[in-house]
Amino acid sequence: MIQIKNLYKSFGDLKVLKGVDLHVKAGQVVVIIGPSGSGKSTVLRCINKLEVPTSGTIIVDGYDIMDPETDINMVRTEATMVFQQFNLFPHMTVLDNVILGPIKVRGTSRPDAMRLGMELLNKVGLADKAGNFPEQLSGGQKQRVAIARSLALQPKAILFDEPTSALDPELVGEVLEVMKKLAREGMTMIVVTHEMGFAREVADRVIFIDQGKIQVDADPETFFATPENPRLMDFIGKVVSHT
Amino acid sequence: MAFEFEPSVMIESLPLLMGGAKITVILTVGGLFFGFILGAVAGMMKLSRNFFVRKLAGIYIESIRGTPMLVQAMFLYFGIPMALGIRIPAMVAGIIIISVNSGAYIAEIVRGAVQSINPGQSEAGRSIGLTHFQTMRYVVWPQAFRRMIPPLGNQFIISLKDTSLLMIIGVGELLRTGDEIVAVNFRSFEVYLTCGLVYLAMTLSIAKALKMLEKKMHILGK
Ligand SMILES: Nc1ncnc2c1ncn2[C@@H]1O[C@H](COP(=O)(O)OP(=O)(O)O)[C@@H](O)[C@H]1O
Ligand SMILES: [Mg+2]
Repeated sequence: MIQIKNLYKSFGDLKVLKGVDLHVKAGQVVVIIGPSGSGKSTVLRCINKLEVPTSGTIIVDGYDIMDPETDINMVRTEATMVFQQFNLFPHMTVLDNVILGPIKVRGTSRPDAMRLGMELLNKVGLADKAGNFPEQLSGGQKQRVAIARSLALQPKAILFDEPTSALDPELVGEVLEVMKKLAREGMTMIVVTHEMGFAREVADRVIFIDQGKIQVDADPETFFATPENPRLMDFIGKVVSHT
Repeated sequence: MAFEFEPSVMIESLPLLMGGAKITVILTVGGLFFGFILGAVAGMMKLSRNFFVRKLAGIYIESIRGTPMLVQAMFLYFGIPMALGIRIPAMVAGIIIISVNSGAYIAEIVRGAVQSINPGQSEAGRSIGLTHFQTMRYVVWPQAFRRMIPPLGNQFIISLKDTSLLMIIGVGELLRTGDEIVAVNFRSFEVYLTCGLVYLAMTLSIAKALKMLEKKMHILGK
């Protein structure tokens, strides 16, 4: 579904990614952890080309994103993104946030898009907020709307970039619940998070990124049971003692 | 002979002055309409990734903001016809001047407002597959436009006052009309005072309308 080969990304002189290889199969949930600044967001942002890779190949749903012939807007609808800061459109109602993509990108008629939008809001438990503006919602509700907005394009995969990091602790659960539901339904997901509980419970694979490379790539049991990598041990120690 | 204030002159000159005020309003509204289009284009060009596009907009903005409007008006109305041999009607020249002049200031308003929108907004737009243009159209511009309203209102007031400079090229706007009345009745005190009051009435109305608009926008959500 998503294949990354030998991905390099630099910002000026700063080499952030130094040869990342990652193959995510359809239906897999891959959790990425790693220290702040290690390039986790950059990996996700290269997948939908919000950042242009310096070199390497990325194939999403069979499309080579580096190929100038590829319609990148189309690829983005197949691997949508959920951001740490939600990035809801503040001038639109919740429902309009959700149906903008279907209407403008997919060409869905407004009534059909509204039906789909309400269905998705219902799924994330926010059907009653359809007519509200984002500023009237809590952080957890905002993020659930953002998830509905990504789902509205009926993507093949969703990229989550620390979806719960901006939330008050008591609001984290409601967002993780929605994500777990998606995982159970077979959605392909790449999730950057510090929520180790989520990783253990939901992930098919957990990946540790550090110093621009994937250091560990294993199923959660192996990953957490025997962290051989000293930097990973150190990192897990910090995250666990932190939470 | 001592000066004697004659309020009746003010009342008598008012109908003619109102005719001039009408021209002032036409110049301002027409000029700002085209000025906004120019400013929007130049403002977006200023944000372009292409160096030459940015540069081109920069030259326009700097050269207009760096020269007096009076010079621009005289150049367009007297200078250009001399070179090209065509005469532009004064009213048309007036609207062009206001457009080109306000456009340079509006460009900076547009650029600033668009830049002030969190980049996360356009990233979110792009991430659901909107094109660059659609992202601007549906996500960035509606938010940026709200932020443009106060400075645009301010520009409205500035441009309205600037139209008085167009008397130099013979546009029959408010101040020119006052001037013509004074040429006949020599009551400069009353007539120019009335002119000033009419300008004030117009600028205060704009300011008031703006306040109401801002309030309404606020209620409609951010
Ligand atoms: N647009 C950018 N320009 C310059 N440097 C950037 C940019 N985006 C990220 N970086 C740098 O790249 C590194 C990795 O960033 P990021 O991928 O956001 O890390 P993480 O998500 O793991 O915290 C950081 O040092 C960050 O400062
Ligand atoms: Mg990050």
